[in-house]
Amino acid sequence: MIKQFINFEWKQFIRSSYFQKGIAIKILLVFLVLYFGGAALMLGIGLFFILKEVLPTLDPIVVVNNFLIYWLLFDLVIRFFMQQLPVMNIKPLMIIPVKRNTVIHYLLGKTVISFFNFMPIFIFLPFSIVLLSEGYPVLNVVCWFFATLFLGLSNNFLNFLINKSNVVFYVLISVLAILIGSEYFNIFKISAPIGVAFNALYTNPWLTLIPFSLMIGLYYINFSFIKNEFYLDDAVSKKIKEVNATDLSWMNRFGSVATFLKNDVKLIWRNARPKQVMMMSFLFLFYGLIFFTNKMYSDSPAWLAFAAMFVTGGFLMTFGQLVPSWDSEYYKMLMSQNIPYKKYLESKWYLMVFGVTLSFILSTPYIYFGWKIYGLIVAGALFNIGLNSFITLFGGALNRVPIELNVKAKAFSNTNGFNPTQMLISLPKLFLPMLLFYLPYKFINFEAGLFVLGFCGILGIVFKNFFLNKIEKIYQTGKYKTIAAFGEK
Amino acid sequence: MIKSTDLSKKYGGVTVLNIASLEIPKGQSFGLVGNNGAGKTTFFNLVLDLINPTTGCVINQEIQVNKSEDWKPFTASFIDESFLIGYLTAEEYFYFIGELRGMNKADIDAFLAQFDEIFNDEILKKKKYLRDLSKGNQKKVGIIAALIGRPEVIILDEPFANLDPTTQIRLKKLLKDLTVSSNATLLISSHDLGHVTEVCDRIVVLEKGEIVKDLITSAETLQELEAYFSV
Repeated sequence: MIKQFINFEWKQFIRSSYFQKGIAIKILLVFLVLYFGGAALMLGIGLFFILKEVLPTLDPIVVVNNFLIYWLLFDLVIRFFMQQLPVMNIKPLMIIPVKRNTVIHYLLGKTVISFFNFMPIFIFLPFSIVLLSEGYPVLNVVCWFFATLFLGLSNNFLNFLINKSNVVFYVLISVLAILIGSEYFNIFKISAPIGVAFNALYTNPWLTLIPFSLMIGLYYINFSFIKNEFYLDDAVSKKIKEVNATDLSWMNRFGSVATFLKNDVKLIWRNARPKQVMMMSFLFLFYGLIFFTNKMYSDSPAWLAFAAMFVTGGFLMTFGQLVPSWDSEYYKMLMSQNIPYKKYLESKWYLMVFGVTLSFILSTPYIYFGWKIYGLIVAGALFNIGLNSFITLFGGALNRVPIELNVKAKAFSNTNGFNPTQMLISLPKLFLPMLLFYLPYKFINFEAGLFVLGFCGILGIVFKNFFLNKIEKIYQTGKYKTIAAFGEK
Repeated sequence: MIKSTDLSKKYGGVTVLNIASLEIPKGQSFGLVGNNGAGKTTFFNLVLDLINPTTGCVINQEIQVNKSEDWKPFTASFIDESFLIGYLTAEEYFYFIGELRGMNKADIDAFLAQFDEIFNDEILKKKKYLRDLSKGNQKKVGIIAALIGRPEVIILDEPFANLDPTTQIRLKKLLKDLTVSSNATLLISSHDLGHVTEVCDRIVVLEKGEIVKDLITSAETLQELEAYFSV
């Protein structure tokens, strides 16, 4: 039976739409996997020597142990957002004569073969090998390596449980926030006692039994959980949530586009995929921290302009580039209802403006880095509103990949709404502002760069109707193709 | 009201629809019947400008549908579930369509009140997203939404499929009353010959994309259709 299952799995893989997409995407995906795998591998090999160099007084294994808890929590959060659970697939297996236990074991076993479970191997295996070659005791290192492996797998199964309960998820997020906060502000070094525990794990190899039993324990909790809910109306069928209808009538003040704006807010709030994208776009706000604190970038203002544009452009980049795919599930209706195409596009434009404005307000703390940086953020926001929004909408006209709204995107296996044209169209979004800032900066001064960048944005806002009319024409031309493409699932 | 000349649609060399000329006068309730693949949905999609005709065009009240969007304000339709917005509740969906057609919340509430019988307490105030409703209830929502805002042309693709017997009977009455009271032009398709003959004044039979029969409904129509299809 298991052989059959594996056979199905293989067919599902090679016949799925993402696999049958263009060769370019396949190459890109392979490249991405290789990149991340390679990066992890390099990190694993180099980690020992880096730590030795940075903290010469401490034993690298001790440092790693001290920070292991953050790795695990981070891993869990990433899994929560990216790892797709296979539960939905058991529906057709319920009515055929296979032992329930076999199906469940298979189901849980399958989750082990995930990219996320290979990451720790990529990092910790080379790290352990380096440790061995440096003369660390073999038994301790090997047991420690397996301990990390078991902990990673425990995360794998814990993630399964978290996905069933929002409470567990939010508790976890807050714990993480508090831990990092208290660590960062030196209130309480929580990593110390946990680090001690992990170090004990290393010094006493037999303690590896603890993570091992943790993993087994979580596996069986999952097992009994699924077994109890192995009926259509529980685990397998999608959960029917009671609607929490919010009154959005205050948005009516936005005039004729309010109808669509209200819908888009609900779209984001009530569907898994847009919610995920929304969270991602929030992370863009912190992009500036990398650039503004790094000496390497703070001396080259073109990169600062790049970062400033990213800070306010997160929503625009992540959500905006998938217009009109967000409406793919009911696109036919939109096209035959009493909606002029231009109004539809205008509402999307307003949504992006709204997103940029909100990010801009949230980015106020960047004043801390000085008025020059803040000036860049202001100019970047103007540019995002005035030009990048239109470039994004223009790119959308070429985007004909349907999106399943209530399904989370999988890492490296769901290229929903992604295509090479999108990549190309996003290049001007990134490099145009750099260029517009850098040229006047180089030939005149910093302020001139700011002015040109901001002014271009204002020009875009002034000529909004012109741009929208042009973009509408392009959408109209591609209308039938788009409808047909959105029709195929 | 709706005129088409030399209308045809080909997919990769295969003709799926080829209608030399068809004219549906205002206020007529027009029924399309035909086996799977006869071209019923293709015809509706062409009327709604969801696909591009290979030759010819559709003119809806003097407006060529693939040239201008001005037919949208007086045309309403429900083809399949992709006309519903899954993450809205039924009420929210009705309000949304209402806003698109210039009706406010109160108008819609008043409008919906007359359909209590059809909704049968399973749709309104249920706090359920449309994607979580059963197929039949989804269909009810789509059909009623297509009636919002007194459209002059109403297009429904297989409105009776998936509905329970009681609702089928109620819907038949509703559609019959509608054409009488509002003088709207109604275009429906169905696989149920009995239902179409009851509702429609005129029935066109399609086969492999071509019109093979064009009948004004009379007492003998049902027999004639049954004879035609029982091969």
